[in-house]
Amino acid sequence: MISRKLAVFWIILIPLSLAVGASAQIPLMEYEQALYSIPVSNPDFILSTIELGMTQGDFPAEPVLWLIDRLIGHPAPPFEKEAVLLVLAHALEDGLPIKSLINEAFEGLARDVPLQHIERGLSVHLILLAEIRDLLYSKGIFNVPAGSPQTVPTAIPMLRFNQLLIHVSETIGDFLEGGGSPFEGHVLYQEVRNRLTMLQGVTLLPEDVELVLKRIEPSDLTQAALAAVS
Amino acid sequence: MKHDNLDNLLRDTLKAEVATSAERLIEFEERVIMKLGDRHPRLRWFQWLSQLLAPTRGTRFGQVAIVGATAAIFLFVGLTLSNRILPGGEAPKLSLQPVMLADGNQEVLFVLPALDAQDVAVVGNFNAWEETALSDPDGDGIWTTSIPLSPGRYEYAFIIDGRWWGQDPLADEYIQSFGEYSSIRYIGRGGDGA
Repeated sequence: MISRKLAVFWIILIPLSLAVGASAQIPLMEYEQALYSIPVSNPDFILSTIELGMTQGDFPAEPVLWLIDRLIGHPAPPFEKEAVLLVLAHALEDGLPIKSLINEAFEGLARDVPLQHIERGLSVHLILLAEIRDLLYSKGIFNVPAGSPQTVPTAIPMLRFNQLLIHVSETIGDFLEGGGSPFEGHVLYQEVRNRLTMLQGVTLLPEDVELVLKRIEPSDLTQAALAAVS
Repeated sequence: MKHDNLDNLLRDTLKAEVATSAERLIEFEERVIMKLGDRHPRLRWFQWLSQLLAPTRGTRFGQVAIVGATAAIFLFVGLTLSNRILPGGEAPKLSLQPVMLADGNQEVLFVLPALDAQDVAVVGNFNAWEETALSDPDGDGIWTTSIPLSPGRYEYAFIIDGRWWGQDPLADEYIQSFGEYSSIRYIGRGGDGA
């Protein structure tokens, strides 16, 4: 009786998992066709970074394709569309998460913001992501590839590390966008603390939040913010 | 009659009357105090209420019963009226608290009062900033939609007849993005989803 139930379970599970796997992985050819529709001047570079991104655990495969599709329908000249995609490509090349960049691009397009402004915003955001990643490294907080064992508490699995990276950099970006000064390091630190604490136990692990808040200082955030605005 | 005799008569009469009255005044003060002691002092409403609610006053049971009966009558009248006012006699089933779904997501309600609006939609990082329409089936100007969301932080704004509105009163916080306001909601925080 039990073996029959198990057989039915596997019969359902195997096609289901195959279907999920197939939908999560979009062939590179689809990106290539979409890029040629824009068209971009250097599709090979963008494609190579997309291919690199696909090896990361949190690559937003569908949103990237949606973004290219939306850019195809945008009335701006192709070089402006390519400039937006190049920011994403540079982030992927640098091993940075692009989920928040994609979201920012979607929002800008929905608000009918000129592509040049969107590209500028994304560039600032990219700088912040890189600065915060380097800051965490300098504080002894590292990321380990998905699936690898966590040998020390300060070596965080990549997906968790990227979550921290996104939230800290977005908080600084929102602060600057709202008219805050990079020199208000203590206010900036409080903003970061608030956001991480709000997400503690929701999408962030309490030990990760504690580790970051313990090691970073207001002056570190001022340095990152200055790098973004200069 | 001589004057002297008349004076004497009057004096004697007055003395007799004073003596009679004086007898009445004996213990007059005590009798007044006793009479006053039988009367209850005039109480203020809160003193009356505190006496009424005092658990040791068993004799107040009648008054409590009167208050209870009055409350029951008001409750009955209120429920009857609400059944007549609300269509179908049922309370609205809208809840601002997210409803937990079987897959771990939460059904989050987005509500916006927009009395004269023709079209209301919500856009955010949960729908790639593509419009999800809100509806107002009873035409009362309260537009709603429910969206299943996993726990996390969500940025969004409403679009009312083509105009963006980024300051949802139900939001946890607000940020500025591309020079405009956006609302932020944290879902799954402490299980309340607020």
